[in-house]
Amino acid sequence: MTTTEPAAKPFRNMPAPVLSDPYADARTQPFWDAAKREELVAPKCGNCGTFRMPPTRFCANCLSEELVYEPIPGTGTVFTFIVVRHPLNPRAADYVPFMPAAIDADGAPGIRFISNVVDCEPEDVKIGMRVKVVWNHVNDALTLPFWAPA
Amino acid sequence: MSLKDQVAVVGIGLTYAAPDEAVAVGDLAILAAEAALDDAGLDRRDIQNLAWATGAGDPGGMAAAMGVPEVSFSANLTSGASGAGSLMLAATSINAGFGDVCLSVISFQPIPAGGARTSSAYRANFVAGPGAYGGAMAAAPEDAFTTPAGISSQGATQALIANRYLHEHKVPREHLGEVVVNQRANAGDSLTMAEYLSAPLIVGPLSAYDCTPDFEGGFSAAVITTTAARARDLKQPVVLIGGAVTGGTPSHATPFQMPAASFGSSGHRDLAAPLYEMADVGAQDVDVALIDDDFSPMVLMQLEDYGFCDFGEAGDYVARGNTRLEGGKVPVNPHGGNLSRAYVKGLNHVFEAVEQLRGTARNQVAGADVALVTGSPASIPLSAVILRKA
Repeated sequence: MTTTEPAAKPFRNMPAPVLSDPYADARTQPFWDAAKREELVAPKCGNCGTFRMPPTRFCANCLSEELVYEPIPGTGTVFTFIVVRHPLNPRAADYVPFMPAAIDADGAPGIRFISNVVDCEPEDVKIGMRVKVVWNHVNDALTLPFWAPA
Repeated sequence: MSLKDQVAVVGIGLTYAAPDEAVAVGDLAILAAEAALDDAGLDRRDIQNLAWATGAGDPGGMAAAMGVPEVSFSANLTSGASGAGSLMLAATSINAGFGDVCLSVISFQPIPAGGARTSSAYRANFVAGPGAYGGAMAAAPEDAFTTPAGISSQGATQALIANRYLHEHKVPREHLGEVVVNQRANAGDSLTMAEYLSAPLIVGPLSAYDCTPDFEGGFSAAVITTTAARARDLKQPVVLIGGAVTGGTPSHATPFQMPAASFGSSGHRDLAAPLYEMADVGAQDVDVALIDDDFSPMVLMQLEDYGFCDFGEAGDYVARGNTRLEGGKVPVNPHGGNLSRAYVKGLNHVFEAVEQLRGTARNQVAGADVALVTGSPASIPLSAVILRKA
């Protein structure tokens, strides 16, 4: 496992890369496999149908271990966001400002995606704005979802 | 089983260490405990119970180090539990009959002067995952769903909640500023709204003024509790624990699933009703409020959760001077709070509440009979206590 050095910036106002592979196990790998194909999927209990994010082993609603990944449209709404302007780590200095956000994704009620709004300026981000998923192909192993104005 | 008026706070102590002073965290705690025992007119050999919030080291180790002859109760709350929570644990242990005298303590390791940590905004959070910002910490596969977003401090997490709150209730940043300016004024610091508003945002919508500075040095606070009956024979005016609660809704701690209806809140609305019911008081009875204030937005949200004003109106409530030391309806953090001083996990708020009820506080609220102390908003277990003059 190695850290990706800050290099290419495929999107405006994206955060510094901190993972170079999805750091997955058998339970979470399907999400990252779908991401590589630019498909957004939402983890969901295979027993009671409750979405669960992150995809933990047990469903908090029924304690089932069943887990399915449901394809969702890749559109959503900004529930809340922040603007990081002062980097916690000097290595992130070239990446501020960036906008971490909690996204209500269409088709997956009850959970949010913790991600980033990219490709716009901080002052353009509003709670309630419509966004669509965009894909950051970090390398052959990892593709990360970001969200851009729809 | 109600804790109402069964247990009293009889001794309080504070100790500090300079940033360059080489003091062990446990030794600092013993000094604070000695000060609290002296304040109460009790001896270390009287201690039977040890009830900690987090961040004070091992209770058993401290008992041995300070010569407590026998321990009847020893427990530590979990997660981000705060000073108010340790009083719940203390009162519970005494009320259950495990022992008559309980020590609660919080202690901080000195941070070297010029150390990297300068504000609560930067306290690390979610820093997990191999390689995350250069870290080598092992991570669960679930962490890959948060780590890349760069929400890497407590300030950032608080800002996510705060922004939703500001949005829902159309609260301007000036209202956060009112909290900060008000508390600075209480502490005797001059800070103007213009100065507050001109500070750069470090993690929008928060500036450094909205976050507590880290304490450069060592700090310890200790509280001694005993039965209400025994308290009457001791040195100080009796301060009763009218009610004490800990807990909250677990989903409140995660932005993944936190319900929209309670996202922009401190989580304390779950605790307010049982606390007031236990103590048989309401918001209108509270004379002074020590509100956990590691981040300014949480002060507004807690004022609403504890019923001092309606939801979304705390900013106006503060702006109209209701929380000021001078002439306010419910002075909030008359000692200046953590926002004006440092992040010290809440027993300092208990200390201040006890001084207010004894009538010995530096910034005394006239006629203070009932005090509310809250702890740890937005992380489970939340905690709160009502203290009152006997």
